[in-house]
Amino acid sequence: MSALISTVRASLSYRGREGHWLWMLHRVSGLGVLLFLILHVAGMSSAFISLEIHDRLLELYKTPPFAIGELALAFGLIFHAINGTRIAILELKPELWQKQQLATRLSILIVALVAAPTILIMAAKSIQAFFGAGE
Amino acid sequence: MSTLNPSAPASPRRVARPIPQGRNRFERAMWLFMRFSGLALLFLALSHFGFQHIIVGTHQLSSEDTIVRWGLAGESITVSQLFWRLYYGVMVLLAMLHGLNGLRQVAYDYLKNKTVYNAFMAAAAALILAVTALGVIALIVGVNASGAVEAIAR
Repeated sequence: MSALISTVRASLSYRGREGHWLWMLHRVSGLGVLLFLILHVAGMSSAFISLEIHDRLLELYKTPPFAIGELALAFGLIFHAINGTRIAILELKPELWQKQQLATRLSILIVALVAAPTILIMAAKSIQAFFGAGE
Repeated sequence: MSTLNPSAPASPRRVARPIPQGRNRFERAMWLFMRFSGLALLFLALSHFGFQHIIVGTHQLSSEDTIVRWGLAGESITVSQLFWRLYYGVMVLLAMLHGLNGLRQVAYDYLKNKTVYNAFMAAAAALILAVTALGVIALIVGVNASGAVEAIAR
């Protein structure tokens, strides 16, 4: 446990700036998406076991905790996809290593441009489902 | 003062041990797999998320839709159901293995105790492979409309 604490502390104080933060976020988002994936595949497989269980799970996914978790998933998935693309491209093109910081900032910009409307649309649908009139 | 003399032979302690050939091949294969599966998942996972989670939305989900898209167990499947099953099957396999290898890399960095690392990875791999198998079996068999767990025994 102390090893974990010192790892977190050293990671946060290491002065690698954007590149280091993206490296950390790539790991955290990867682990988060994997956790969701395990729950998601197990949950959807319930249709093969019993439709009754499947229906109950689908209703459970429409509750606020899952709606909020889904927003975090959207950000994690989009970030991991775009940052992973940056990593793969830079590894294949050593001539671009001079422009690491530009690539890093460009990735942050693209993530923001894709994630912001995604999260807004999903949040709007959830707000309408929870507070919408008549339903 | 021999360490300051550039012409002195390097201390044997400083020579890095070469990585065993077998492990080197495995890591190279995994490195390649992460790139290719990542590229495939870029299209598969993002198209799935964009369609089901953003355009359709979780609040519209129902088991009727699952049956239409996926098909019932024991019934012949349509072309579109076959497409969805293959699409999800490839995605589940690639995503789970991509995640398992990513987890292995992260765990290797932080779990310094070899016994702890081995136990953790054995448990994680067992869980991930079991859920993957469950998902693939579900896709092959189809939706169970009879609503009874006993139907598996048929």
